Amino acid sequence: MTQTARADARVRFVPGQPDMWAFVLFETLVFTSYFVVYLLFRTQHHELYLRAQAGLDLQIGVFNTICLLSSSWAVARCVQASRHGAYRSALTNAFLTVFFGFVFLVSKVLEWARQIRMGNGFTANEFFQHYFFLTSIHCLHLLIGFVVMGVVVYQLLSPKRRSQELVETGATYWHTVDFLWVLIFSLLYVVR
Amino acid sequence: MSSRFIWHCRNNPKRELWFAWWATVVFYNFFTVSFFILSHTQPPANPALDAQGAAQWFEKNHYGILLGFAIMFLVTGMTAPQNALIAYSMRRMSITPAFGYSYLVLYSLSAVPGMLLLCIVLTVGALRPDRKPELQQWLFDLAFLSYVGTMGVFLIGSLVWMLAILIDKNRVFPKWFGYLNLCNALTEVVVSPAWIFHNGVFAWNGLIAWWIDMVVFGVYTGVFITLLRQMIIREDFGTGPLPDLPREAAS
Amino acid sequence: MNTAFEKRLPIVWSALSLMTLAYLWLDHTADKAGVRTASTVVTVSAILIALIKVRIIFREFMEVRHAPLLLCRLTDAWVLMMAVCLFGAHFIGLLRS
Repeated sequence: MTQTARADARVRFVPGQPDMWAFVLFETLVFTSYFVVYLLFRTQHHELYLRAQAGLDLQIGVFNTICLLSSSWAVARCVQASRHGAYRSALTNAFLTVFFGFVFLVSKVLEWARQIRMGNGFTANEFFQHYFFLTSIHCLHLLIGFVVMGVVVYQLLSPKRRSQELVETGATYWHTVDFLWVLIFSLLYVVR
Repeated sequence: MSSRFIWHCRNNPKRELWFAWWATVVFYNFFTVSFFILSHTQPPANPALDAQGAAQWFEKNHYGILLGFAIMFLVTGMTAPQNALIAYSMRRMSITPAFGYSYLVLYSLSAVPGMLLLCIVLTVGALRPDRKPELQQWLFDLAFLSYVGTMGVFLIGSLVWMLAILIDKNRVFPKWFGYLNLCNALTEVVVSPAWIFHNGVFAWNGLIAWWIDMVVFGVYTGVFITLLRQMIIREDFGTGPLPDLPREAAS
Repeated sequence: MNTAFEKRLPIVWSALSLMTLAYLWLDHTADKAGVRTASTVVTVSAILIALIKVRIIFREFMEVRHAPLLLCRLTDAWVLMMAVCLFGAHFIGLLRS
């Protein structure tokens, strides 16, 4: 099938392993339950949460989100390149994905350090309990994402191994890290 | 009916596997009764209780603790066939036996701090109700913190099983169950703030650290018990890919 | 490579980034005379924008657009479920506070 024909053809396919999609949907459920707990408690101590939230810098949050959106863009390009057999381009995009993820990680750690120096530690108040919990558990997923991207790169490197399904599976996981952050960002930084 | 059962005990080549599976199911039933109904240690007691409160908790649950954990001490041995069955599932996979052995060692050890310590310590607390309240609170803290806080071994065990499933070529378990092991491993991390907080959602009885974690763990346990059953049905004692479930046995 | 998918990606990224930047404006309008105030409108908008972004990520980046109907319906149902849970938590919490 020619490149344009494949893209336009109405061939419906599940990107990557359906198993990974089951994981994605399940993890989203779990995270939603964390968000519900946060929102419920937030409404019970509205003033406290509002005041504490003022300690966060929205611009850093926006920068973080754009970082991860860019990493998602890169991994989507990686999948596309790999699908068309352009493996060098796919590898470049895979490294780009990890790069943006790493920038996010550094930014997050610096933000945590700054908050702790300002006196807003994990135990400072209820808002910051949720802040550190949600951002940490998300960062853990990001670190797992680096391992997943490692598997993707490993697949792309050897002509004998390349499994398009594994590359797409890895990309599906990475996008999850991205959209979970989109939700966390809006709930911690913006919601009033 | 009973003659069929006896015939199976004598002749069924999978009888050890079935025995291990039933031991697992029976164990979890005893566990539920002991922890949830008799001793009231699940859901966990309130970590914000002071010494007097802890002493009162011991008094209120005195007989429940003694009876519930007497049962646990009797049936704890049933965790051995469960761990053996899971390790067996990894031996059936196309991977190195080291996975199965690691899991066996990890989970055999984990029952000590992860369950037995709570049983022993709370029984000790219930033994002499006239102990000083401060001492009773110390036993209370030790019991619950050891139970909730010792997740390292369970975490690594889950990751071992996950890795085994993901690289296995014999299709012993579906890949989504490998990923579910990751979900379970992550709940072990989520529970860790319980070491810091006496109240709120991250305390050892908190909405996030206990309740949501328990839901994930409950789903995980139900799923692996079902999948182990399907594995035994599918087992052909070969070394290649495990055959699919026969249609009649899928119910 | 000039596939349709390739051309869509930068547009999708731009749309998502713009919606992210919109939060800066939302945040700016939320404060009354520099004082941080609670606002249901801001909360609802913030969550709504986030859910729209999540759906776009599902459909465009994660290629659900080209997936079988079941996956399309599942991901849409998930977005709906999140909307119900998040808005529900907020409003039920407000009622009880």
